[in-house]
Amino acid sequence: MRLYDIVVLVTPDLNDEDATKVAAEYKKVLTDGGATVVKEEPWGKRRLAFPIQRKRDAHYHYWQVQAEPAAVAEAERRMGLSDQVLRHLAVRVDEELKRSAKMAERLKKKAAKRPPRPAPTAPAPEAAAAAPERSES
Amino acid sequence: MRMGGGSGRPGGARGAAGRDGKGGPRKKFFVRRRKVCKFCAEKLEYIDWKDVKLLQGFIPERGKILPRRISGTCALHQRKLQTAIKRARSIALLPYATD
Repeated sequence: MRLYDIVVLVTPDLNDEDATKVAAEYKKVLTDGGATVVKEEPWGKRRLAFPIQRKRDAHYHYWQVQAEPAAVAEAERRMGLSDQVLRHLAVRVDEELKRSAKMAERLKKKAAKRPPRPAPTAPAPEAAAAAPERSES
Repeated sequence: MRMGGGSGRPGGARGAAGRDGKGGPRKKFFVRRRKVCKFCAEKLEYIDWKDVKLLQGFIPERGKILPRRISGTCALHQRKLQTAIKRARSIALLPYATD
């Protein structure tokens, strides 16, 4: 199982309900293929950065799913065939997230290591002050 | 005791170097601010392609990707930023080009 970010853009010709229905079809394809939906965010109707098929907006639907590659491939294939889907994007994110989490941890460790450095310098003057006293006595 | 000229400028005999009025060693006219990689500074490791607001900061008017030499982003993060921007473009979150 792998973690994917999936975004589908559905035509603005449909109203909100129908658009979510269309998107749900593809979600069903994924869940039938054994996927579990981790996150689901309908971004609503958004303005496109450039026109696609003469359309200026689209209904954006975003999911994060835990799925087998085959299920994602099948869903993407069907999205490509549909006229109601303007664009779609599926990106595998688990490895990238894991790597960044590792990096973040490493940075944290580094940051944790840094503060002790001033500590050894602070007791040093005391030790230096103590040393001459001893030599005097 | 003052030397030569009576100009009264502190450190006056130094000529051109004294022109900035401070008399110290001449500094470069523009002091460039050191650029720091935004992602390193804020410890953002994962650059999310869905975060349009973040990515938009690296897209100048024309819609091109802001070069590293200008933004100061480090090589690693520029690479990640690049893929993030390209993904965002493919689903029309960001423009490929604008006039």
